[in-house]
Amino acid sequence: MDLKLGADELNTCVQCGLCLPHCPTYRVTGDETMSPRGRIKLMREVQLEDAPVTDEVIDAFATCVQCRGCEPACPSGVPYGHLMEQTRETLADAGQMTPVWLRAAMKPLSQPKLLAAGTAALGVAKKVGLVPDRLGLGAADIPLRQEPLPTTGTDVYLFTGCVMDTMQRDVHRAGLDVLTAAGFGVTPTGAEAPCCGALQAHAGLTDETRGLAEKMMRSLEPERPIIVDSAGCGAAMKEYGHLLGTEEARVFSGRVFDIQEFLADHVDKLPTVEPLDLRVAVQDPCHLRHVQRVHEATRVVLRPFVRELVELDDDGLCCGAGGAYSILQPELAGQIRERKLGSIDRATPDVVASANPGCSLHLGAAGVDTIHPMELVAKAIRT
Amino acid sequence: MYRYAKLRNRVTRTFGMGADEVAADPFIADLVAALSPDRVKSDGAHRALLSHDASVFDGGNSGPVVFPETTAEVAAVMAAAQTHGRNVVPRGAGTGLAGGAIPLGVPVVVAVTKMDEIHEIDTDNGIAWVGPGVVNLDLTKRLGPLGYHFAPDPSSQQVCTIGGNVANNSGGPHCLAYGVTNAHILAMEVVLPSGEVVMLGGLDAEPAGYDLRGAFVGSEGTLGITTKIAVRITKNRPEVRTLLLSFDSVTDAANTVSGVIAAGIVPAAMEVMDQRITVAVENYVNAGYPRDAAAVLLAEVDGLAAGVDLDAERIAEIGRENGATNVKLAGSDEERALLWKGRKTAFGAIAQLAPDYYLHDTVVPRSKLAEVLQQTYDIAERHDLVIMNVFHAGDGNLHPLILFDARDEGVLERVHAAGAEIITASLDAGGVLSGEHGIGVEKQKFMDRMFSSDDLDHQNRLRQAFDPGCRTNPGKVIPTGHSCADIQSLRSIPKEVWA
Repeated sequence: MDLKLGADELNTCVQCGLCLPHCPTYRVTGDETMSPRGRIKLMREVQLEDAPVTDEVIDAFATCVQCRGCEPACPSGVPYGHLMEQTRETLADAGQMTPVWLRAAMKPLSQPKLLAAGTAALGVAKKVGLVPDRLGLGAADIPLRQEPLPTTGTDVYLFTGCVMDTMQRDVHRAGLDVLTAAGFGVTPTGAEAPCCGALQAHAGLTDETRGLAEKMMRSLEPERPIIVDSAGCGAAMKEYGHLLGTEEARVFSGRVFDIQEFLADHVDKLPTVEPLDLRVAVQDPCHLRHVQRVHEATRVVLRPFVRELVELDDDGLCCGAGGAYSILQPELAGQIRERKLGSIDRATPDVVASANPGCSLHLGAAGVDTIHPMELVAKAIRT
Repeated sequence: MYRYAKLRNRVTRTFGMGADEVAADPFIADLVAALSPDRVKSDGAHRALLSHDASVFDGGNSGPVVFPETTAEVAAVMAAAQTHGRNVVPRGAGTGLAGGAIPLGVPVVVAVTKMDEIHEIDTDNGIAWVGPGVVNLDLTKRLGPLGYHFAPDPSSQQVCTIGGNVANNSGGPHCLAYGVTNAHILAMEVVLPSGEVVMLGGLDAEPAGYDLRGAFVGSEGTLGITTKIAVRITKNRPEVRTLLLSFDSVTDAANTVSGVIAAGIVPAAMEVMDQRITVAVENYVNAGYPRDAAAVLLAEVDGLAAGVDLDAERIAEIGRENGATNVKLAGSDEERALLWKGRKTAFGAIAQLAPDYYLHDTVVPRSKLAEVLQQTYDIAERHDLVIMNVFHAGDGNLHPLILFDARDEGVLERVHAAGAEIITASLDAGGVLSGEHGIGVEKQKFMDRMFSSDDLDHQNRLRQAFDPGCRTNPGKVIPTGHSCADIQSLRSIPKEVWA
C-alpha cells in the first residue's frame, strides 16, 4: 500500500546500521524489526514492494517510541521521525493503527475543562486505589485542586499545555518564577492554547495536530517568544513549520524556545545564590536532546544552582516514557526503563533532573526521585 | 546471481505465512521447545529484514530467526538444525559489507544479539570474557574507568558485535599499531555444527596443540558459532596526539604515509580521506575538516608525552616535505573525538551524495598506494561512475567507494565491472582480496586469483573438519567448484522448505 512517504526521504537510508545502538527498542530486544533500519526497510517493503501490512509489520511500527535517538546518530540525516509520523498517519487513516478508544482518549487533551475534570476523577480514583498499575502512575501525586498561575508581564509567553498543566502545574510555577527573576514579564498561555498536539501526531492523528497548531497560532500574539518547559511540547511546536508547510508556521516555530534554551542566554540575569547541596544527574528528555538538540542548555542553567552535576553513561538513550508509550507498550517501556535505572544507579545522584513531564512520571513510577530543572533553580532562588 | 537489496531490482516478497504452515513445521516446533516461543520468529517481516546485512547483497527471505541467550540454547538450535538437515547462519548486528550474514538456502538465523553480557573483566591478566553479542564500543566504554580498552576498532564499532569481529577478523584505524582482531582473541567457547561445545585456544601464553583458535578467527561463520570469547584488553596510553594534515592531492597524502612508515614511526593510526568524502563527513560532524583540501591525513600517535610530541613533530615535517598545505594538532579531547567520529561514520554519510554505494576493501603494499589510488579514479571515470576513497592508509588497506543510484538503468553492471577492475588492479600490485570485510559472497569469484586450486581444496577440507555437512553459513567464502556446499542450489530455494 502507499504509505505516502516521500521517495527521497525513504531512499536516504543506506542501511549501514549505525542507528541500531541508539534505538531503545533494539537495545532491549536485539531484534531488527524493532530498529530504525528495520522499520525503514519495512516501510520500503510496504510502499515499494506492496508487501502486506501484517500484524508483525504493524507491531514493528507501533513499538517505536519515536524518541528519535536515531536521527543524530545518522550520518546521512534520514528524517526518521517524519517517516514514522507519516507511516502512522496513513495506517491510522486506513484504520490499521490507533484504535477508536485511543482516539477517544486523546480528545480531552485539547479541551481543558474536560481534562481537568478527568484528571480530578483520576486523582480521586487513585487515592481510593482504583487506578491499575499498568498506567504507570506509580507514586505520582495527582493534584485535586490547583491555584491559577499569575501573569507577571508581557515579555514572553509560558506555554502551559494540557496534561502538564493539570498534573504538574508546580513546574510551570517554578518556570514562571525563574523567568520573572531573570527580569522577564510572563504570560501563561492557559486555555487559549490548550494543547500542542504532540501526542496526537505520535499516534498518527496528524489532522488533529494541524488543527491544534492553527488554533494556537491564531490565539497567541505575534512576535512574543513562546517559552516551553516540556521538551515534548517544545519539539512539536518547533515542527509546526514542517507540519503546516507555511511561512507563517515557520515564523511561529522560530519563536518557540525550550525554557532552558532561553535562559541559557540570560543566566547572568539570575540572582547569585548559595547552590543547593545536591548531586544532580541530568536525564535528557529525547525530544530535548535528539529533536531540539538544546540539551547542553540544561547544564548551563543548572550548574550555578546545584553543588554537582553528573552525566548518565548511556549516551542519551530513551527512558521509555515516550508520551503515551509507557501506557501503550508497558512491557517494552519497562525494559527500556530498566536500562536507564542501571545508568542512574551508576551515577549515584541525590536527584535526577528531567525537563519533560512524561520522563519524570515514568521514572518516578519506578521510585526515582525526579525533578524538573526549573524546580531546582526556583528552589535555590527562593531559599 | 544474488538479488540486490534496493528497489526495483528486487523481487516482491510474500510476507504472509499461515499459522498452520508454521505449526506444521517440525523444525520450528523443535526450536520453540529449545528456546521459548517469543524468541523464535518465523513471520514474514522478520524473515524479510534478515535477507541482507549492510552490503549490497540480498539472500532472499531467511528461515526462522532465533534469539538464544545461553550456550546450551545455541547448542540445541545447532542440534535441531542437524536433525532436520537445515542450514544455519549466525548473525551479530548485521553490519558486514561482504554479504557474510545474508541467508542462503533458507537457513535458521541465529541472532546472538541477546548474548550481550560482559561476563568477567580481569585487569590483573588483561583479559575479559564476553558474550558474542557484546557491542565492540560497549566493552571499551565499560573498560574506560579501569584505564583499558578493546583495541580493534572497526568504523562500525559503535554497533558491531565482538562475535562479528571474530568471524571477520575485523580491523580498524588503530589496528595499525595494535594488530587486528586475531591478535586480541585468546580463547573461545564454540558450538560446532553438530551441537557439540568445545573450547578453542586458551589463556596460557602458548596453548598446546594446533592453533584452532587462529583457524576459527576470520572463518566468517563457516566453522561454528562462538558463545563466549576471551579477549585481550589493552591499557590506555598516557598521552595521545592527533594530527590533521591537508594536501592538494591524494598522491601527496599517500606519499606522506609511506614516508612516515619509512622513517620508522609506527603511529597508532593513519587514515586518509579524499575531498568528496571529507566534505560529506564535515557536513555531519562539523569537526573542522577542511572542505577545500584534495585529501586529508588523520594521524594519531600515543605513548609517553616526550615520545608522542617528537613523533607528532616528525610526522608534521614529513607531511610538509610531501606538500602538506596545512598541519593541525587536535587541541582537546573533544576535538579529537569529533575528528574520529567523522572518520568512523564516513560510510553512513554517503546518502548525502547518492542513495547507494558499493564499498570495496582491498590491501596493497604501502609503496604502491599512490599508484593504485590513481588507478581507482581512472577506472571509475572509464565507467562513468563517481568514486571516493577513504582508507586505512597506514596498512595499505584501500576502501574505494563507488556511488550510484540503483534506480538508474544499467548502473549495477557498470558498478560491478568497475569493482572487478579495482580488485584486479590491487592484486596486480601485489595486494590481497580483503583487508577486513571478509570474502562473504562478494569475493568468492576472485578467490582463484589469490589461491591455487589445491589451496582452495585444502581450505574446504579444513572447513569440513568442523562442518562435515556444510550447513553452517553455506555458500560463503570458498568458491563454487571447491566448496562442499552446492552454491548454485542455495541460491534457489530448496523444494522441501517453505520460503
